Amino acid sequence: MKKIYILISIISFTLEATNFEPYESTYEPLPYTNTILKNANIYDGDGNEFLETDIIIQNGKIISIGKDLPGADELTIVDATGKWITPGIIDIHSHMGVYPAPSVKTSSDGNEATSPVTAEVWAEHSIWTQDPQFALALKGGVTTFHVLPGSANLIGGRGVTAKNLQRNTINSMKFPDAPHSLKMACGENPKRVYGNRGQTPSTRMGNIAGYRKSWIKAEGYLSKLDEYEKKSDEAKELSYKPTRDLELETLAGVLRGDILVHNHCYRADEMAMMIDVAKEFDYKITAFHHAVEAYKIADLLAENNICAALWADWWGFKHEAYDMVQANVAIVDQARNGTGCAIVHSDDEIGIQHLNVEASKALSAGLKAGYSISKARAMKWITSNPAKAAGIYDQTGSLKVGKNADVVMWSRNPFSVYALVEKVYIDGALAYDKSSGFEPTSDFDIGIINPKKRRIEE
Amino acid sequence: MIRNKTLIVFSFIFFTSTILEGSTIVIKNATIFDGIEDSSYLGHILIDDGFIKKVSKSSMVQGDRVIDVKGKIVTPGFIAPDTEIGIVEIGALSVTRDDESNIYDIGFSIHSAFNPNSTLIPWNRSNGITSAITLPRNTSSPIGGLGSFFLLDSKMNINSNADMVLIGRLGASGSSSRAENLSLMEDILSFGLSLNKKDIASDITIDEIIENSSIASYLDLKARDVKVLYRLFDEDLPLIIKSHRASDILNLISLKKKYDLNLVIMGAQEASLVIDDIAKNDVPLIINPINNIPNSFDELASNINLAQRLEKAGIAMMFNVSRDHNYHLIRQGAGVAVANGLSYGSAIKALTSNVAKVFNIENRGSIKVGNYADIVVWEDDPLEPSSIPERVFINGIETDLTTRSTRLRDRYTKDLNKPNTYRN
Repeated sequence: MKKIYILISIISFTLEATNFEPYESTYEPLPYTNTILKNANIYDGDGNEFLETDIIIQNGKIISIGKDLPGADELTIVDATGKWITPGIIDIHSHMGVYPAPSVKTSSDGNEATSPVTAEVWAEHSIWTQDPQFALALKGGVTTFHVLPGSANLIGGRGVTAKNLQRNTINSMKFPDAPHSLKMACGENPKRVYGNRGQTPSTRMGNIAGYRKSWIKAEGYLSKLDEYEKKSDEAKELSYKPTRDLELETLAGVLRGDILVHNHCYRADEMAMMIDVAKEFDYKITAFHHAVEAYKIADLLAENNICAALWADWWGFKHEAYDMVQANVAIVDQARNGTGCAIVHSDDEIGIQHLNVEASKALSAGLKAGYSISKARAMKWITSNPAKAAGIYDQTGSLKVGKNADVVMWSRNPFSVYALVEKVYIDGALAYDKSSGFEPTSDFDIGIINPKKRRIEE
Repeated sequence: MIRNKTLIVFSFIFFTSTILEGSTIVIKNATIFDGIEDSSYLGHILIDDGFIKKVSKSSMVQGDRVIDVKGKIVTPGFIAPDTEIGIVEIGALSVTRDDESNIYDIGFSIHSAFNPNSTLIPWNRSNGITSAITLPRNTSSPIGGLGSFFLLDSKMNINSNADMVLIGRLGASGSSSRAENLSLMEDILSFGLSLNKKDIASDITIDEIIENSSIASYLDLKARDVKVLYRLFDEDLPLIIKSHRASDILNLISLKKKYDLNLVIMGAQEASLVIDDIAKNDVPLIINPINNIPNSFDELASNINLAQRLEKAGIAMMFNVSRDHNYHLIRQGAGVAVANGLSYGSAIKALTSNVAKVFNIENRGSIKVGNYADIVVWEDDPLEPSSIPERVFINGIETDLTTRSTRLRDRYTKDLNKPNTYRN
């Protein structure tokens, strides 16, 4: 027996020695050009607006923002007079890659709807990296997106945060050091999917029981893991390491605080209940998604430091989405003296291309509800707030000196439907340039209508 | 709060306008996009007894009530050509859906199912949609289902044009070839064309006709179906076919020529590939201008610049949206189309007069003398979805802009010291 343990130790030693981490990001930025964007109007994503200001991006990072900046001589100059600059847009709720275009059975890989709890599946293992939707989203200024499994299951599996730099493997798109996330879902979807099969859950109380049972199992698994890890090396050799369990590894990761919970939940009463479930098992909910009724419990969300990722105006497609209020985003944002965390998300291949306009609608509704919210603040809804919810705010989500240079240049104020994205930089490298036609094209788009052309080439 | 005041002002206006029904209203100092001209002009509109009595560039227009809109944009009420307004309340709740029939295909009419109290009506109206065409869901027949035109004035006495359009579809089905689909469509059309007035004189004659037609018996057509096929040719009823692929569009154009159809193609994501044929044969299109997703193998040529290209080719276009309930977002689609090269005037026409023309909706869709006064005063640019109407007139009557959504908003932002269920 002991030989096996030694063998295992050797293997694990070897793994560490070669620094082999499966599923790890192998992302590398495109070659960057050190650039100064001159005389731009800027929303920095942290709530500030600067007019006629320069911004320098160098070695992939934001170096400085201001007027008459020193060290600007050897940089590529982009005249941004009359243009607007924002951080790269971040969509916290995307199904690109797992529900790619065309929408066909063979690549519809977003819902492992075979069991109500599938914490063991990872969205990144479904992503089709040739999805033509990535490039379209890039032209809408999206530099980072968070892909979640669908909402058929109570616990649907792990989500993944990716850079919108389309490559052939998902590892080369994964956002370095972004935490994993877990998709959970309340309400109609799980109870419909499983109720229709005569399985549990078929009711909302069945939903709640399902989460609680899972967390109880996860607690048991975690205590075994903790017990083993507390042992001395000698004692470890003399005992069994708990057998790996993919489902419980994910759930234990949540209980340890390593994996962020993103919870699809529409109704206010259900969100309040999910907060209780989280308290019972001592985990944190990072964000409620869709949350059409978030405005009814905006204070509760702010008190519990939970973001709400919302549409500007979707409603009525199901009963739990009936009570739509367009000021939802603003009400969440303004809760508890403006400490609320509001996010505008898409969950949609068209919406993701226009998150700026979605934010604009939400802002306008907020102003009509009587709130005083600046455009600079509303820009947080599609930049820094989703960055926080994805656990990558230290790297991106605002134009702070030292952060990754994920930058978008717009033809005009991005709160207008007429604003077009002119340039997108990801990690300081130009990824899209409207004027020169520099843009990525997925393999799918090559020669598919006319062999000599790209899909939408004229 | 400011909002309170606005609400009070709005309710006051609504109240008074109800009293003054029948008296004259002048909308003064309006930047008018009339749905006819490409550009706007500053003018004054006189509304008398529900109709536009005068549109004048001189400010001498007099009326019982004068509303100075101070240069704000005024448009005809927008007409949404592809909705489920009034027949679907909650998408995933079948007991609130009235858009399907288990018995009828071709002759299925949704007209009597229309619910004037649907929450979708005030919602879309408050966003500038004053009337809409409501279409049933696709039937199993390649041609099947009648749509109706409704005014969104929330009156129990429904103001409508019943069964004014027939729908159908052509394209990938996943179970059988589109060639079968097309053949069936042609067989139905050919049967329809063969009908004469005597054939549909009574249910007995119709039964005979069905018995004598292999396609009519095979499809198990009912009297309603046959009557509608007769109407299709007798009244030159608009026929909307949902279709995307370029080759399908060409096949539809052939059918149009052969059967002299009043054809409208909806979807048409690949229209740009056969744009000359569409233009030459005067086929109006209903497109979703914001949809650039190659969402199926029939839609590979989806491109954000479609509207602009249709304009250049001189093709009449109208707009729809892909998601339900928010049919007013045709405004956002129009805005995106303008951002991508469509002219502003054409965008406004696509939302107004084009729909009226294509579907023979008389005296609506433009601001001109003699038309019903379906008029919207916008707080700002109507193609910016962040801006909403300040006033909406339908048949010359100013409508209330309260919605269930604004009520819920107010309930959770006002009187917060009261328990929520005891608030307004």
